[in-house]
Amino acid sequence: MTDKNNKKILVVDDDENLRLVLTDKLSREGFKVLEASNGKEGLETALKDHPDIILLDVMMPIMNGLEMLKLLRQDEWGKGIKVIMLTVLENAEFVAEAVADGSFTYLIKTDLDTEDVVKKVEEMLNK
Amino acid sequence: MNNPKIAIKHIIIALVTFIGLFILIKGFSFLAEDLFLDPKKYFGVELEATEINIFLINTFIIIVSVLISYIVYLLLSSNTRAELITSIRTKDLYVSLEQLRGIYEGAPVPYITLDKKGNILDPNKAALRFFGVVSEEIEGKNLFHYQSEEDLEKAEKLLQYYKSDIPINREEVKMITKSGKVKWSLLSVFKMEGPTKMDRAGLATIFDITEEKELDKAKTEFVSLASHQLQTPTATIKWFLGTLLSGDLGPLSPKQQDYLERIYKVNNNTIELVETLLNISRMEISSITTDIKSVQVPLIIESILFELGAQIESKQLNIIKEYNNNLENIKSDPRLLRIVVNNVLSNAVKYTPSGGTISITLKESFGDKSIIISDNGVGIPENDQNKIFSKLFRADNVRKLNEVQGTGLGLYLVKSIIETLGGSISFVSKENKGSAFTIKI
Repeated sequence: MTDKNNKKILVVDDDENLRLVLTDKLSREGFKVLEASNGKEGLETALKDHPDIILLDVMMPIMNGLEMLKLLRQDEWGKGIKVIMLTVLENAEFVAEAVADGSFTYLIKTDLDTEDVVKKVEEMLNK
Repeated sequence: MNNPKIAIKHIIIALVTFIGLFILIKGFSFLAEDLFLDPKKYFGVELEATEINIFLINTFIIIVSVLISYIVYLLLSSNTRAELITSIRTKDLYVSLEQLRGIYEGAPVPYITLDKKGNILDPNKAALRFFGVVSEEIEGKNLFHYQSEEDLEKAEKLLQYYKSDIPINREEVKMITKSGKVKWSLLSVFKMEGPTKMDRAGLATIFDITEEKELDKAKTEFVSLASHQLQTPTATIKWFLGTLLSGDLGPLSPKQQDYLERIYKVNNNTIELVETLLNISRMEISSITTDIKSVQVPLIIESILFELGAQIESKQLNIIKEYNNNLENIKSDPRLLRIVVNNVLSNAVKYTPSGGTISITLKESFGDKSIIISDNGVGIPENDQNKIFSKLFRADNVRKLNEVQGTGLGLYLVKSIIETLGGSISFVSKENKGSAFTIKI
């Protein structure tokens, strides 16, 4: 079992409500939660605080999730960081890539509950 | 007769012929009389000049004279008759040529005649308006060079088609106007066949579809915006409700629990409806453009099973995979194929009771590549089987299943997509035994 108290999760989403419900849930589960409201902020926070896992929205203003992921992968530390993309749109190429890559997966927001997100986070952290 | 000059000519010819006839008859009559008065002078024999003989010979002479006169009349008048017909035909031809010219010039569609090399000979008014030029600016220039620089390769290909007599039919091209504006167009070029060698070798028509393209783009953007704008709030509602229902924030009264559960279900139906409607409008709006590339079917199935994971787990369904052929490198549109398989597979999950079995078979036989998804679920009643691909149709038995909501749009979408991709979908089903859907790619 993961020691949640030592695990930092970064939630990057431009929707304040979704961010609130997710960070609330994850905090109650015992994770330390960091927040950002767009890709640019998310990238800065990630590179500064080195979270254990990033929950990343796809469509965001200023810098979207896919751009942030691309830049993150260029960083020595960011290369291996586990990322769960949160999306409302399925994109076949990105889906195929996510299935093939162990450090990267995706979840469709409308298919899930916060419980499922927590489960997925734990599953990824234990990998 | 509508030409007085020609009428007068005919009367004169008829008169002259009649006078000629009269003189001829008279001449022959005098000769005949003389002949019968003194036959020995001509034939060296005696002939009895009876009244009957003279009458018969006179009659014969008259008939011959009439015939000869008629032939002479025909010969003399043939020229004027030909003239008359020619004059009528020429006038008709002139009228139709003028009409044709008028249609060509005034047509709202750009028409351009081309020489053998594709150079512009004669643009009509609509063509000049299309390019924003006067005819001197465009005549002699090559039509195919008026395509956008991004499309050079296509322009060159079409020019080669034209030179090799391959018809160009409604090819989508980007034309450049004088002001540099790019206009989306459907270009058609037809060969013009003529009895003699002609300068004019081809006729090009251009349909301006810029407005449609812009509208299409606006709609696609709207759909993309709507998907974000509608899906994010429904997801937010779902997550907040889920948190409340989980009891994480404190216990709920039974009534509160019941009401929140109802809201949760309605919200889930909305999520499903929004998703299906978006897919349908994407299909209908984008006028079904497909992006064919190499597709790995097992990967698509894995990602769908991954998304359906929670439902499969909670219903404890057995998933059996029988891959006789891996279909790992087929040509299709991955996004559209995924929507098809996703709909059929999620139907199987939805309509199979807990503990049931779903089999996914991939196979190739006689060149047909198929994905077969079968289940031992509720099945489709026989009476409803011919309607399941209709828009907004839901079978009687599933309507009664309160816990399973559907939009009646899924299989309609599936059928239109798979047919767009050149494939087909069919099924066999028995109520309360299950269904098997075969998707031919």
